[in-house]
Amino acid sequence: MQHVKSPELATTVTPQPWWTRLGHALDRRERALPTMLLVPVLLFFIIWNVIPTLWMLGLSFYKWTLTSGRPEQFIGFENFQDIITDNSVWLSFSKTLIWVFGTVSIEVILGMLLGLLFWGSAKLPGRRLALTLLFAPMMITPVAASIFFRLMYDPTFGVISYIIAQLTGQAAPNLIGDRATAFAAVLAVDVWMWTPFMILITLAALGSVPKAELEAAEIDKLSWFKKIRYVILPNGKFILMLGILLRTIDSFKTMDLIFSLTRGGPGNTTELIAITLYRKSFEAFNLGWASSLAVILLLTAIAFTSIYLFVLNRKQAEEA
Amino acid sequence: MKNPRRVLYNIALWAVAIFFFSPIAWIALASFKTKNGILATPPQLIFAPTLDNYADFFTRPNVGQYFLNSILLSVAAVLLAILVSFLASYCFSRFQPKATGFLMFLLLSIRMVPAAASVVPVFLMYTAFGWKDNWLGIMLFYAMFSIPFSVWILKGFIDGVSQRYDETALVNGGSRLHVLFKVVLPQVRPGLIAAFIFNFIFVWNEFLINFIIGGKTTTTIPTALIIGVSNNQGMDWTFVATLTTIYILPPIIAIYFFQKYLLVGMTFGTVRGEV
Repeated sequence: MQHVKSPELATTVTPQPWWTRLGHALDRRERALPTMLLVPVLLFFIIWNVIPTLWMLGLSFYKWTLTSGRPEQFIGFENFQDIITDNSVWLSFSKTLIWVFGTVSIEVILGMLLGLLFWGSAKLPGRRLALTLLFAPMMITPVAASIFFRLMYDPTFGVISYIIAQLTGQAAPNLIGDRATAFAAVLAVDVWMWTPFMILITLAALGSVPKAELEAAEIDKLSWFKKIRYVILPNGKFILMLGILLRTIDSFKTMDLIFSLTRGGPGNTTELIAITLYRKSFEAFNLGWASSLAVILLLTAIAFTSIYLFVLNRKQAEEA
Repeated sequence: MKNPRRVLYNIALWAVAIFFFSPIAWIALASFKTKNGILATPPQLIFAPTLDNYADFFTRPNVGQYFLNSILLSVAAVLLAILVSFLASYCFSRFQPKATGFLMFLLLSIRMVPAAASVVPVFLMYTAFGWKDNWLGIMLFYAMFSIPFSVWILKGFIDGVSQRYDETALVNGGSRLHVLFKVVLPQVRPGLIAAFIFNFIFVWNEFLINFIIGGKTTTTIPTALIIGVSNNQGMDWTFVATLTTIYILPPIIAIYFFQKYLLVGMTFGTVRGEV
């Protein structure tokens, strides 16, 4: 072992008094070392996750409104029963499902098509700048995105409303203020923001296909469809699945964008489950009820995480 | 020489890229328009640019403070998170304690929880402990918020560093700290950069937590934008456009210079590679 040489790295010790002494003091407790390395993360985890989550879990069994001034009252599972039988919860939950399905399917299809288009872009002049422009939407804060679209959707001076008015020959529509179009208008913003992510994932999936297999497909003169079906999908499917899952989870989480564009309105046309939770907690301050809903969403997130890790482990098992 | 199909293809790619960038370009253009220029119908694409908005921008009260909040909170939280995560991911990678799988799962699930659901318990705790509108309270929360992603990314990178290096250094009389910071750390620099850049962007972009548990001393720009936007009846478009333009510049510049980390950064380090 002593003779193993690493070319660039200094594996011999230059004398550094207090540093080295501390290091060796730690080494003498070699068995405690793994625990010591974990302590900071565990502290963070316990203080900012375990305690608040248990607190919330406890509160979900109480009836408590912050602004009422009355003390908490234990009511068992009543909050949960209330949520399950509440029509408005089911309404925003079904809206969330439509939202997730709508955004994810459009983004996946568009992203895969555009990803295929960008596959041969290695020699594109100014590629780095072009990709920066392409990927910019997903890197900016949703609050800023909502500002862009408030400007562009505005019925009097918005450019998108203006274009629609010119195309249809009718008065400029109020896209996010009108109940009929608000949901689609907000969904379009999400598609704009996150299609680039699916392009990125598609490019990664395409990049994971071994060159030899592609060349073999070229020699066999496989059609486009067969090439995708037999060469690209078997190699890229896990990356695509991870990407789609991540997008599904994030789409389920959507909050900032809708909050800053419409606050769930007009009426409750764009009120997704996260907005319902926000309104109950920080507008009605009905924190007992809100805690119960948050617990349900937490369990959903854990379920999503399990699925994600299941796919990830299968990918790693296949690579190994 | 020039293949016309190739030229057409390149034009198509640039057109797609510009299409996705156009909403951002539109707000950036608006920041060079006069107030009447922004509110003009039909919307103006060609106009006489003015720098008045930027001159006016620096005379506004509080804006400097909000920017400083955004920068200090992001940098402090992310640096702290990376240090803590580096230690933990070294432990996960090398010693593989029994709870590794479970802890990695819990860490990942923190990031999968809808923000509204994770802000409720934190709100309860911060209200009870009186930590609201406290710089340190918010910074530490953001650090926690950045840990899961950093651990996931760094563990992947440390797994990629051969244990031989650790063993060689230890046999030559180096301490574990020496191994950690002088042997392993330099080799996972790409992981550190990716963790820094992407966590920075996440904290930079974060709004809800700041809005709920923050206050005057911790207001960041997204919160300021929302408050400003919802308070004014008539929106101050020249100011909002200028503020937004300046605020979104750092993330965009970051992905220009650190494009090769984009894939790792957007997938928790679970997908490696470059695009």
